Amino acid sequence: MADTEKLVFMVTHGPDDPELATIPFVMAAAALASDVDVVMGFQADGVRLVATGVAADVQAPEFPPLAKLLADVQELGGLLLVCGPCLKSRGITPEDLVPGAQVVAAGRFIAEITSATNSLVY
Amino acid sequence: MTATTAELETITAAKIIDARGAACPGPLLEAKKGMGTVALGDVIEIWSTDPVTKTDISAWSAKVGHDFLGVVPADGYDRVLVIRRK
Repeated sequence: MADTEKLVFMVTHGPDDPELATIPFVMAAAALASDVDVVMGFQADGVRLVATGVAADVQAPEFPPLAKLLADVQELGGLLLVCGPCLKSRGITPEDLVPGAQVVAAGRFIAEITSATNSLVY
Repeated sequence: MTATTAELETITAAKIIDARGAACPGPLLEAKKGMGTVALGDVIEIWSTDPVTKTDISAWSAKVGHDFLGVVPADGYDRVLVIRRK
């Protein structure tokens, strides 16, 4: 077993579903605060969440604003991986993404998931 | 929890973190940040109006290796006490 635990959170919902867009960030932030490495993988409409400025307009009832949670995840060292084809199909360019977000393809997601302690899909 | 409320009330925290009004996971993140500002063996005290914070901080303390001391009910909020152990 690896010395360090790692969780992968796959995010597939975008701004149209604020709750399902927000909860993986809540979980990721809590994991990072618990000394667990975190990878957040964005696919399908989830890629919209890491386009610059989008998080500012997402707020699920009873949760912190998504922009605050995104900033927390970045500050605590969470890795943001974004599906390239999902971006392209939505007309989002890599330059549109928040700082630190990396555009990747399926192979990288598989590498992260298979090396993780566990993976959760939202 | 091993300490009584009366015993907890005698403890002076090295740092008080006022997370009242913050929604999950705000109090936990504030506790994480605050813990990094005190010495090993010091106590931090998190104030929270979220009733689940006490169980959240208890679980977090066990996970990361700190000592959860307990909770002192206050006027509309909880005072959650933890000793930094790592």
